[in-house]
Amino acid sequence: MANGEFRLRVRYGKVGRLRWLSHLEVLHALERTVRRAGLPYAVTHGFSPHMKVAFGPALPVGTAGENEYYDIWLTRYTKAEELLSLLASAMPQDLAPTAAGYVGDSEPSLGAALTIARYQVEVTGKGSLTEQVHAAMKSLVDSGTLTVTHKGKHKVFDLARSLPEETRVTQSADGSRIELAVRIGPEGSLRPEALVRAALQSAQLDATVVRVTRTDTLIEQQEGLWARPL
Amino acid sequence: MTRTDLWPAIEPLLARVERPARYIDREWGALHDGEAAYRACLIYPDTYEIGQANQALAILYGVLNAIPGVAAERAYLPWMDMSAAMRETGVPLFSLESCGAVRDFDLVGITIPYELTYSNILETLDLAGVPLRAVDRSESDPLVVGGGPSVFNPEPVAAFFDAILIGEGEEAVGEIVSAHRAAKAASASRAETLHALAAVPGVYVPSLYETVRDAKGAYAGTQPLPDTAARPVVEKRVVADFDAAPVAIAGIVPFMDVVHDRYGLEVLRGCTRGCRICQAGMVYRHVRERTPDHILRDVVAGLACTGYDEVSLTSLSTTDHSQLEEVLRRLQRRLEGTGVSVSLPSLRVDAFGVEMARLVSAGGKKSGLTFAPEAGTQRMRDVINKNVTEEDLLGSVQRAFESGWRRVKLYFMIGLPTETDEDIQGIGELVHKVFRTAREATPPAQRGGLKVAVSVSTFVPKAQTPFQWEPQISFDEIGRRQQVLRDSMPHKGVDLHWHDAEISFLEGVMARGGREVADVVEAAWRGGAVFDAWTEQFRLQRWLGAFAETGVDAESIANRERLQSEPLPWAHISAGVAPGYLWRERERAFAGKTTPDCSFAGCTGCDVCDDLEVKIVLAGDSRG
Repeated sequence: MANGEFRLRVRYGKVGRLRWLSHLEVLHALERTVRRAGLPYAVTHGFSPHMKVAFGPALPVGTAGENEYYDIWLTRYTKAEELLSLLASAMPQDLAPTAAGYVGDSEPSLGAALTIARYQVEVTGKGSLTEQVHAAMKSLVDSGTLTVTHKGKHKVFDLARSLPEETRVTQSADGSRIELAVRIGPEGSLRPEALVRAALQSAQLDATVVRVTRTDTLIEQQEGLWARPL
Repeated sequence: MTRTDLWPAIEPLLARVERPARYIDREWGALHDGEAAYRACLIYPDTYEIGQANQALAILYGVLNAIPGVAAERAYLPWMDMSAAMRETGVPLFSLESCGAVRDFDLVGITIPYELTYSNILETLDLAGVPLRAVDRSESDPLVVGGGPSVFNPEPVAAFFDAILIGEGEEAVGEIVSAHRAAKAASASRAETLHALAAVPGVYVPSLYETVRDAKGAYAGTQPLPDTAARPVVEKRVVADFDAAPVAIAGIVPFMDVVHDRYGLEVLRGCTRGCRICQAGMVYRHVRERTPDHILRDVVAGLACTGYDEVSLTSLSTTDHSQLEEVLRRLQRRLEGTGVSVSLPSLRVDAFGVEMARLVSAGGKKSGLTFAPEAGTQRMRDVINKNVTEEDLLGSVQRAFESGWRRVKLYFMIGLPTETDEDIQGIGELVHKVFRTAREATPPAQRGGLKVAVSVSTFVPKAQTPFQWEPQISFDEIGRRQQVLRDSMPHKGVDLHWHDAEISFLEGVMARGGREVADVVEAAWRGGAVFDAWTEQFRLQRWLGAFAETGVDAESIANRERLQSEPLPWAHISAGVAPGYLWRERERAFAGKTTPDCSFAGCTGCDVCDDLEVKIVLAGDSRG
């Protein structure tokens, strides 16, 4: 591997109460974990040297993630399972790593490779019955586009392109659960809660989004198949 | 004991507030003991990011959790968006670890950090649903205990606490809990419990004292009520064997950015330099150093437990540690190649300070250096016993800039006793000399990046110091002197920062006010005062309204000179330093006489050694 460094890819979750962390807070927590675990981490060169680590697409504050990834470069080879257990024992449980394995240095970065995200959005309240929510979602998707206003900027999403597979709606304990896949990338990623809120609003349903979980981040391969990066 | 888990009510609020990480717990190092029979909630009355860095609470958290059957949790004051959401939905102040209502704990410990947090203490109690005043609390309310740096005149907040610990908590906190548990086991009433607490050395139970007035109605002192265990004078607690005292090794590692976001280890406690303006120097006496072996051991263990990439060696004046050079060299060897850096929070204005700064920044980035000459003329520095000369300062600046530093920050005060306009102009002249020295020591090509920052605050006379009898300069006079300084300050290359005159005035009232000031604090809080230490939240008008409403004369507290014969509102609280010593130091100040550091010269007669049976403990036999 290049420069005698070993690129370890780690899968982790940001769940429970820790879904309220920001991406930067997760990054700092990870750096401290790596030091507590005593991993032989590589350090970047340059004006302000820091731990060499790269994350997949950021999760917003409040959104949980069940299968998130980061790459960390190490200066010494150790079996991935051993590193996984070292990391797990030094990490708060709600950010625990769940898998680890080495990847080639020529592999594209997580940021570039991960272009599909699966989400689960829970809604509760009056009008959160499966059929009503399903109809609301379908009606919005059939309209073709969604304009999202964020920090005063308007962005128009082509929903046929942004939602690469059919959305499922099922009943949950106190409302309904929407499962959907979203295309993510540098040209803009549709936030699932924005989509669901717009659907609930245009159908005039008195329901609210209570929890958003990104259940998977995936690589879209040339054959159109989706694969986990690890 | 009711135990509620408020999390289901808290979580829905998080989506609409800033920085939810303040409220979620689950940090590395947080301790969860759901089984303990006795529960204490330790509260810093400011936001999470300010309070989480507090080393004292971290130590007490460790000490209490180590006692079998005792669990200690944490709470902080929610920011205003969160407290509004909590009030709207009926969620009371909660602890982080178990999300329990603070009012359900056995003991609520609140830090009293600084005069401008007094309104926050009331906000904390109110959000918790605990009656603000100790006299209004019932048998079912928790015991509210205060402690911290600002207890050496506790009177402005005394009414809000059932008990206040004066001095150091490492040993006393266990005794307080033990007395409380014994009282509970005996089904003692609240009144009986308070009497039992008053018997614990260092514990001040305000409700067991009364204010005495003379025939003319003037304040004549605060005395214990008859037939109580309360002492006429409550002496501070002090840890004699500081080297063996517990430190917070397995500290809590926060997720969000907090102030002092690094591993902090206190390497010495106390300071005997004897600056006459400094309350900390008087009330944390004596100097007790930790040995290099223990410092090394605890830094290495602390870094391994926390994963921090920076360690700060803390104290009132770390470069005073007699073995600092050895400590830094050994640390440097241990941390080599780990990317972990060492920082020193304050520097001595002399060659040694700069040499130590060079040692910690070897090979790394050189952030700015900070020096505190405090005054602009030698006469003024002699009055306050700063024991630093212009040559010391300029020599240090020269060495620092020759070694590659490009930024220096200087702290000064105006409004010091005996100060004249020449002394103020002296600050401008000294800054000018510092700038010139820095410039000459910097290669011409790099002079563009050179920066001298000057921070000027207004002197606030504090209780338990030689200047406790002095008038603080008036509001208008602060403005006039600030103008004198502005006119004498070089404009080019100097970044001048002021401490707000309005804030200094209020600090002055709180620092030396008596029991009557509690009414002012409450009236100001009812008028909306909260987070006064956050400059953008501070409104003098609220406080002026509170003074008017309560009829308390703020000027006579802040701006009046006291007579030697006059009883002071904090005379029943002792830091172990004899009032006679303070008065002698005041006289020496006015005579322009300095007093040496008793750690190296002879005894200067402050009486702490005899009164508190604590000795100066140095790790070596001389200063670096």
